[in-house]
Amino acid sequence: MKTYKSYLHILLAAGLLGLGACKTSINTPAPSRGTADFSRYISVGNSLTAGFADGGLYLEGQQNSYPSIIAAQMQKVGGGTFTQPLFNANQANGSGYLKLTGFNADGTPKTQQVQPAAVRDQITIPGFGNVVLFTKYTGDLNNYGVPGIKLQQITFAPYGNLNGYFERLLPGNSPTNTTTYLDFVTAKPYTFFTDWLGNNDALLYATSGGAGDVLTDKAVFSQLYNLSITKLTSSGQKGAVATIPDVTSVPYFNTVTVGAILAAVQKANPAAKALYINALNSDGSHSARVATAADLIILTFPTSMIGQPVAAAGGLPYGVTPLTPIDDKYVLDQGEVALTQDYVNAYNTTIKSVASSKGLAIFDAYTFLNNVKAHGLVVDGVNLSSAYISGGIFSLDGIHLTPRGYAVVANEFIKAINKQYNASIPLANVSSYRGVKFPGNNN
Amino acid sequence: MPAIAFGQGFQVNLHGQKQIGMGHTGTGLLQDGASILFNPGAVAMLPQNYVQAGMSPLLFKSDFNPSGTTDQFRTKSKVATPFTAYAVWGPKDARWKVGLGVYTPFGGLTDWGQDWVGKYSLESLNLKAIYFQPTLSYRVTDFLSLGAGFVYNHGSVDLTRAIPVTNESGQDGQAQLKGGGHGFGWNAGAFIKTNVGLTIGLDYRSKVNTTVKNGDAIFKVASSIQPNFPQPNTFTAAIPLPSTSSIGLGYRPSDKWLVAVDVNYTKWDVYKTLGFDYAKNTPTLQDTYSPRNYKNGWSYRAGAEYKATSKLFVRGGGGYVTTAVRDGYVTPEAPDANRYYLTAGLGYKLTKNLDLDASFEYEHINSRTQTNIESQLSGTFKTNVYIPGLSLAYHW
Repeated sequence: MKTYKSYLHILLAAGLLGLGACKTSINTPAPSRGTADFSRYISVGNSLTAGFADGGLYLEGQQNSYPSIIAAQMQKVGGGTFTQPLFNANQANGSGYLKLTGFNADGTPKTQQVQPAAVRDQITIPGFGNVVLFTKYTGDLNNYGVPGIKLQQITFAPYGNLNGYFERLLPGNSPTNTTTYLDFVTAKPYTFFTDWLGNNDALLYATSGGAGDVLTDKAVFSQLYNLSITKLTSSGQKGAVATIPDVTSVPYFNTVTVGAILAAVQKANPAAKALYINALNSDGSHSARVATAADLIILTFPTSMIGQPVAAAGGLPYGVTPLTPIDDKYVLDQGEVALTQDYVNAYNTTIKSVASSKGLAIFDAYTFLNNVKAHGLVVDGVNLSSAYISGGIFSLDGIHLTPRGYAVVANEFIKAINKQYNASIPLANVSSYRGVKFPGNNN
Repeated sequence: MPAIAFGQGFQVNLHGQKQIGMGHTGTGLLQDGASILFNPGAVAMLPQNYVQAGMSPLLFKSDFNPSGTTDQFRTKSKVATPFTAYAVWGPKDARWKVGLGVYTPFGGLTDWGQDWVGKYSLESLNLKAIYFQPTLSYRVTDFLSLGAGFVYNHGSVDLTRAIPVTNESGQDGQAQLKGGGHGFGWNAGAFIKTNVGLTIGLDYRSKVNTTVKNGDAIFKVASSIQPNFPQPNTFTAAIPLPSTSSIGLGYRPSDKWLVAVDVNYTKWDVYKTLGFDYAKNTPTLQDTYSPRNYKNGWSYRAGAEYKATSKLFVRGGGGYVTTAVRDGYVTPEAPDANRYYLTAGLGYKLTKNLDLDASFEYEHINSRTQTNIESQLSGTFKTNVYIPGLSLAYHW
């Protein structure tokens, strides 16, 4: 009996080990590139394309840029290597960025500026101002994202002297550069491109509260978009473009609200009735009026200014009287919102019609982000939303995305590309990318 | 009442090596002490007294392929250990017998790891239900016996999932819900011998409502938001283990052959929600109620035993089980679908009083492509289960 038992014991143990090696597998069809060729993919765009996040360009953001995520998936269908102008490990903090350090008692976040690590120099360009220059990048380049660039600037020859992020990619030093952005990105042959330009043509006006920048003229936008797409597709290259999000769909304009500020004011002074802003009139002039929920306060508005005596107005408290309205630069008021939306809609009409005429894939970021704002987005068991910090998509600057947000965008591009070119590029795993980093470790 | 429950994937039908070998049939048979579970009504008809125990190490191997990708995420190799122990005794030629069964009718061990796409739904799950069933059976006539048992369940759950909160090192938070509880139920059956050699068994195992009270709710998150996940914390959850109604037939076409069929009907519709009620809530940490809305399931089983020599028995069987999980409700905790299984067994009489039985089962859970309505986790699950097993039965 003992022999039987021990023999069976061994058999059983061996059997279990054998079974442990059995693998359950699901057959998946081999992914296909369809009618597109991804052997050299380039990405054209602004800060979103560069991987800008938390108010800065730094290594971790670059490594999680949506073009790099798309390219990694393209490599499963024959895509080539994709090289980004990464900051090196010693200068990983790049331009510097915002870091969350904790929360105030009222739940509002506390942030801290991480110091820049890749600043090379700063020069003054006459008639323009100061330009911060970064450590030069040399080598292969597939991701041409340049933070801050407008479509309006892509054919402007001196631009390489005015934007430190662009200057960093060029061989020459500011102020000697004369290569336009469009010529630079198209200089070397490529087979596929993504193009997400145009955001800054509206966004920089909006983030300045309609006070520090101007909207790009609609006709200029149309002319340059046509020009750039014609050039990008001049050798029959295929590609994908994205529309421009509604600027009001980002937390930068939806986190600090008129209602919340007024409630805080009334807590201290129950007699306070309203906030006043310096709002745009239909004739283009500005005058003070009562703020409503349709006026959007920017994320970076220092709310502590409210109620402070304004010397120029006889010591009246800031923000709560018609004589001391909140400055224009802190508010995208209702009229400015409408103006911005009108321009964005016109830009998007151009983008969609030009892309359609060239047979390009279109990721409609405008519709997508408005849907996220209205309904949220559930991916892999995570509830994502447009809420600041807790929403998981937007980084600490309230405009640019977290790695998880960029992964979502990458997948939307991939879906559009797959549809247009009958391809089946595998989607990226969104849950493996992080949201906003919270201070501290797990206990 | 919030509830967690064991999906069909967690109904464990490993109740005796002789019965496993014959495709999990036994409601209408008189094989051994496992009748305590299969049919307390049959216990009084058993020809002998029994003390027996067995174990069926179970390997649950699931694979998940997220929609639109070529990725494959597989469960880690972990061995669950369902077991059985039965004792049946009655005076020789008495009309009654008493018995005690200890068995594991529900349980599950799934570990998807911390890096897979569905980590926010589930990382790992270890569920156990151990039933203790004292039983009394009475032979009313030579052709009819009845029996019933009281069921005490000790249940436990240990579940981990990732929390989508990134800490400063880039890691997710993690929730662990761990606790035990108990519940009560009963098991009753009837056994009929017909004069044409056919035996018939009817059995009803009741629902067992089990409540986990004050289980540990452990949340590990970035220290700056730990106040949103207060610690220590506890949870309460109900585990409604479903009832099973069975009918089984047995027949001996010859001295050497025994054939059997069983049909089970499991009332899974008691499983409406997966819920966790936390003792301390915050705006971030709310009680959760995830819809499950299971439907009732059927099992169709058949098996045969061949007496090769006076000492050696060869068994085989198989069956088909319909899923309890509706479309849109498939989750990694129970990646369920319709399934078939095949079994084989060997029995050897070591001595006149001692049986050694070995069994092997292969279960294939059909691949199922789903988007979960709650998590939007979208993809294809496919599962194979491998279950060897061994038991010893002493009878006199």
